[in-house]
Amino acid sequence: MKRIPTPLIALVATVLAAFGVSFFSDRIDPYYLDVMIGVGINVILAVSLNLVNGYTGQFSLGHAGFMSVGAYLSAAVTLLAGPRLLGEDGGTALQQGLLFLAALVMGGAGAALAGLAVGIPSLRLKGDYLALVTLGFGEIIRVIFQNVESLGGALGLNGIPNYTNVFWVYAFAALTVFTVVCLVRSTYGRGFLATQDDEIAAEAVGIDTTRYKIVAFVVGAFFAGVAGGLYGHFKLTITPTGFDFTKSIEIVVMVILGGMGNTPGVILAAILLTVLPEMLRAVEQYRMVLYSLLLIVLMLVRPKGLFNFNFTAIAARLRWRYLAARK
Amino acid sequence: MAAPILQLEKATIRFGGLTAVNALDLVVNEGDLVGLIGPNGAGKTTVFNLVTCVYETTSGTVRSNGASLTGLRPNEVVEAGIARTFQNIRLFRSLTVFDNVRVACNLHRTSAPVQALVRMSAFRNDEAAIARRVEELLELFHLGRYRDAPATSLPYGEQRRLEIVRCLATQPKLLLLDEPAAGMNPTEKGELMALIKRIHREFVPSILLVEHSMRVVMGVCQRVAVLDYGVKIAEGTPEEIRNDPTVIEAYLGEPHGSSWAHH
Repeated sequence: MKRIPTPLIALVATVLAAFGVSFFSDRIDPYYLDVMIGVGINVILAVSLNLVNGYTGQFSLGHAGFMSVGAYLSAAVTLLAGPRLLGEDGGTALQQGLLFLAALVMGGAGAALAGLAVGIPSLRLKGDYLALVTLGFGEIIRVIFQNVESLGGALGLNGIPNYTNVFWVYAFAALTVFTVVCLVRSTYGRGFLATQDDEIAAEAVGIDTTRYKIVAFVVGAFFAGVAGGLYGHFKLTITPTGFDFTKSIEIVVMVILGGMGNTPGVILAAILLTVLPEMLRAVEQYRMVLYSLLLIVLMLVRPKGLFNFNFTAIAARLRWRYLAARK
Repeated sequence: MAAPILQLEKATIRFGGLTAVNALDLVVNEGDLVGLIGPNGAGKTTVFNLVTCVYETTSGTVRSNGASLTGLRPNEVVEAGIARTFQNIRLFRSLTVFDNVRVACNLHRTSAPVQALVRMSAFRNDEAAIARRVEELLELFHLGRYRDAPATSLPYGEQRRLEIVRCLATQPKLLLLDEPAAGMNPTEKGELMALIKRIHREFVPSILLVEHSMRVVMGVCQRVAVLDYGVKIAEGTPEEIRNDPTVIEAYLGEPHGSSWAHH
């Protein structure tokens, strides 16, 4: 019998749900809609970085750099190719959608190429050294965008069409989660964790650790690029400073807080860390102080990640209780 | 006659002024169970690191089935059919017992990584076949009941066994065991000897065993080579080695008796 695998059902269901919600988006308060889109973009960023930092154990600080590559590239596609392909009136919704999809994929592909270019030489480095190289890469990208006049220079790119909506963000968030989860759970993907745990032992069972690191880096960069494209077509204007290393740190914090290599935890952390600053708007100027304090407290209380529950152990305990109750 | 599964010819490695392994000749033919012994620091583990390309030979050659292993990456050596265990057990901490073995099946995976995303029947069949093979291996070596436990939570002896099973999952032609009996009590050593003999009989045609425990080496090996300060000082059957004066001198510093052999 042919059976449709559950992860695919989950993916399609989420995409359809996002599509459904996007029809009612004009009935949702624009403020909440903004927060929702921000949450989705951060989920993409955090989950994709988690593949690199969490599962493969390569500490990258360059995620915002890849994001900016995707943002600029996809903005360039819609700004340059858009008027030519869609004509004066802007085209139908379907045409816009297809153009946007192409722009996002190209942005992601560009970021993935950048990931490959940075990854091949630098993944020979470990730990702090890799962190520094990726940090340097992010800064170089930022300086380049700041100085290329045709990309707006320090003022950034303006007038990007408003294509990002709930559907695109959550469809790609679902795709990111799907990709990372399916990869990591497969026999192939167990190699990411093996690489993280012990490179020498991983090579001793035939795992090409360098290749795994590069794959993680490239896949992570691709989704960071897509997130950048979504971000650009959501904010409608992008500046190089929007992708500086504080943005990278912000994503790293989500991964650490969620629990390295724990996708559900990282998703929850991405949601929390996007919503929390919004909720703290009530206290105005103390907002970031409180935010930082909360981070410190959270790390002290749950150093292995806020949401790092041992799901297998919990499942086993529940099953045990159920069996005990039946007796 | 076919080229030996492992052939070291004048294999030498120097670290600065120290010659850790000096012009070592060693042959492991298909079907051999060879022991490599020697006092602490004699260079036994270094030999393993040469064979598995963790280190590169300063001079001399290391061949498998006639092909040179020089310049390969450690994971390519495994692809060539040579797998090893480690003196200090190296299991994957964040993986379960099942996954520790499963990750070693990647060499014999038939589906491409991308198929993990498309998830059509080819991928699912491959994953199911791998899972079956892993479970079979775990059952054969009495690790089945630990299937979903974190690998490092196992008792010491079981961790050793799991590491060996993980090696077997790569389907090697030659297995290198680095001090598998380290830290084991007499009962566990007895079980280990039976295990090594069984693996040699049923799974891997050739085994090279580095070991300190004379009981294990003399009990299972057909042939034993002795290293001292990186130089091979003797090679022969366990009986010959037991009575070789050079070997006794290397271990005890004086030619006297053979009581050491019973430790």
